[in-house]
Amino acid sequence: MTNTTHAEPRRTPTNWNDQAMQERIRGRYASERRFRLLGLFAVLLSAGFLAFLLVTMAANGARGFTQTEVRVEVDFAKSALFIDPAALEGFGADAALAGADIDGAVQTAVRAQYGESADGLLSDAAWLRVRDAILEDPALLNRSETFWLPARSGLDQAAKSDGSAADEQIYRQLDDQDSVRTGFNLGFLTGADATDPTVVGIWGAFKGSLFTMLVTLALAFPIGVLSAIYLEEYAPRNRWTDLIEVSINNLAAVPSIIFGLLGLAVFLNFMHLPRSAPLVGGITLALMTMPVIVIAGRNAIKSVPPSIRDAALGVGASRVQVVFHHVLPLALPGILTGTIIGMARALGETAPLLMIGMRAFIASPPGGFTEPATVLPVQIFLWSDEVSRGFVEKTSAAIIVLLAFLLAMNGLAIYLRNKFERRW
Amino acid sequence: MTDMSDTGMSDIAAGQRVLNEAAPKMIARDVDVFYGDKKAIDNVSIDIALENVTAFIGPSGCGKSTFLRALNRMNDTIASARVTGKIELDGEDIYSSGMDVVQLRARVGMVFQKPNPFPKSIYENVAYGPRIHGLASGKADMDQIVEKSLKRAGLWEEVKDRLAESGTALSGGQQQRLCIARAIAVDPEVILMDEPCSALDPIATAKIEELIHELRGRYAIVIVTHNMQQAARVSQRTAFFHLGNLVEYGDTSEIFTNPRATRTKDYITGRYG
Ligand SMILES: Nc1ncnc2c1ncn2[C@@H]1O[C@H](COP(=O)(O)OP(=O)(O)O)[C@@H](O)[C@H]1O
Ligand SMILES: [Mg+2]
Repeated sequence: MTNTTHAEPRRTPTNWNDQAMQERIRGRYASERRFRLLGLFAVLLSAGFLAFLLVTMAANGARGFTQTEVRVEVDFAKSALFIDPAALEGFGADAALAGADIDGAVQTAVRAQYGESADGLLSDAAWLRVRDAILEDPALLNRSETFWLPARSGLDQAAKSDGSAADEQIYRQLDDQDSVRTGFNLGFLTGADATDPTVVGIWGAFKGSLFTMLVTLALAFPIGVLSAIYLEEYAPRNRWTDLIEVSINNLAAVPSIIFGLLGLAVFLNFMHLPRSAPLVGGITLALMTMPVIVIAGRNAIKSVPPSIRDAALGVGASRVQVVFHHVLPLALPGILTGTIIGMARALGETAPLLMIGMRAFIASPPGGFTEPATVLPVQIFLWSDEVSRGFVEKTSAAIIVLLAFLLAMNGLAIYLRNKFERRW
Repeated sequence: MTDMSDTGMSDIAAGQRVLNEAAPKMIARDVDVFYGDKKAIDNVSIDIALENVTAFIGPSGCGKSTFLRALNRMNDTIASARVTGKIELDGEDIYSSGMDVVQLRARVGMVFQKPNPFPKSIYENVAYGPRIHGLASGKADMDQIVEKSLKRAGLWEEVKDRLAESGTALSGGQQQRLCIARAIAVDPEVILMDEPCSALDPIATAKIEELIHELRGRYAIVIVTHNMQQAARVSQRTAFFHLGNLVEYGDTSEIFTNPRATRTKDYITGRYG
């Protein structure tokens, strides 16, 4: 019997201090450092872009919220303006004022005050403010009154040191007489679109966006959440549900312009819903938002531990009770986050709304869901297309309003998520 | 055991239990359970007696949980699972179309392997079952049910001052007793426990075992365990499963001292497991 031992040949013990080992350690630390620097660089880069965007927007946009005004003294008693004060009572007031040449009276007053050359001092729409004042207080017609009226766009730009040399000259003269001031432009927040940049407002587009989002939310949220619940909790796993799942995932990736074409073909041409209305815009965007909510909802529902379902079923809860008492409350934060992300995307959407006619020039804020309206991003698109310099800052101001809207929505999402967040 | 009579099951229920004592609470005959094409339980017949603790033992993967879940139709939630054969509760076929599965699960309660309290308050955890079944006639009544259930689960003294706190904030052993309280709050007739102590430390385990001992008089209890000492400690009847078959079923003392099948003997002597 040969005495064979099964012992393996002895390994030389690992030398943790040898050259190669030290190299490896150094290499590991170096790659660790490289990765950290790379990550930091990426973060700084995106933060830089964001800061750049915000700073330019704020710098340009801030001016959009201010407006230069010129002091004009109108002596109604002496002017050629004749309005019967009695006609200003009640419903005939608008007609009575439309007939009177208020614009002419204001022009005359300007000329009297600043000389014959001063024709182009005021915005074309400046007299509207005088009209509104008369409407409010007809007694004005018997006396002289000082108005601050919006300056012409060029002069407004000059006041913000961005105008032509001639305008800046005029502005300095007026400024010496204390006849101009630049202040917060409330009209921008309360008005609608106009041809003259000095009197445009964002309220019309804001309201349009609000109405559109309401329609989108009212349709997309319940349908999306119910679909998600059905697919996760009830639907059998077979070829049909697989097909539906793939379709929904694809739908979420379809370019938005396609949804616009669909809206145009189905809602306008086939169903004859009103053109340019928040109703149609909302439905179209809901189609786009729904798949996002379904996907987010399914993920949120999937992440509720099965043991919770077992627990509820185990004490005799029905399927519906399991879903509504346990699964949905636990999935809600995730569902809400997904919903807000989808809604934020819908809020910034332009292309599909152009297709269904929400790009029309609409000079008064919409009063309801079926009235012609435009929305913030479309308004931004329209203004950015204008040649007049005055629109540049208005575009930036509108972007600030849109971003504020978005921020508010995201803030709401974070608040809701924290409120409903539960641990298990 | 002597203090059980005054902690208050209704007399009618107690009376019924006495009447039915001769007949087994649950009967299973020729039960097969399939997952898709795979047979997980093969031709099992067993009687579950009232006022007894029945232990299911056997190596892991032998189908103990599968069979236990067949007893209150929890397998219904698994799409691929299919049960054939007959399982009766008080002579009523639980797989017949006339059986309401929601009521069945209220009558045959379940405690799971991993404690799974709802992420709600301790009170809500216990009150949930009675509420959905409309068992309480008002706030005071509900308070009483909650207190009674927590007392029976031996948890009342530890939580009575913090009923509004989350059930998930309790320790593992307390959570499992809360789950037991939740199960008994709907006044079930049978309680199924699937390895209720496997996630607990020895002290918490001892508490649960003590609790099972006390609950025995009121309910038919079925407990799955892979811990043979535990089976020997808490049960009166033991069923040994192996590869989907019920190998041996009898009095616990018999099985552990004098097993008839060699497979049983090999298992309880630790030959495999
Ligand atoms: N949901 C399921 N789908 C398919 N097979 C399953 C499922 N659950 C359990 N099984 C299989 O059934 C057999 C019995 O499992 P189980 O009852 O959990 O065993 P035990 O509880 O005794 O450990 C195992 O082979 C397991 O793989
Ligand atoms: Mg098991």
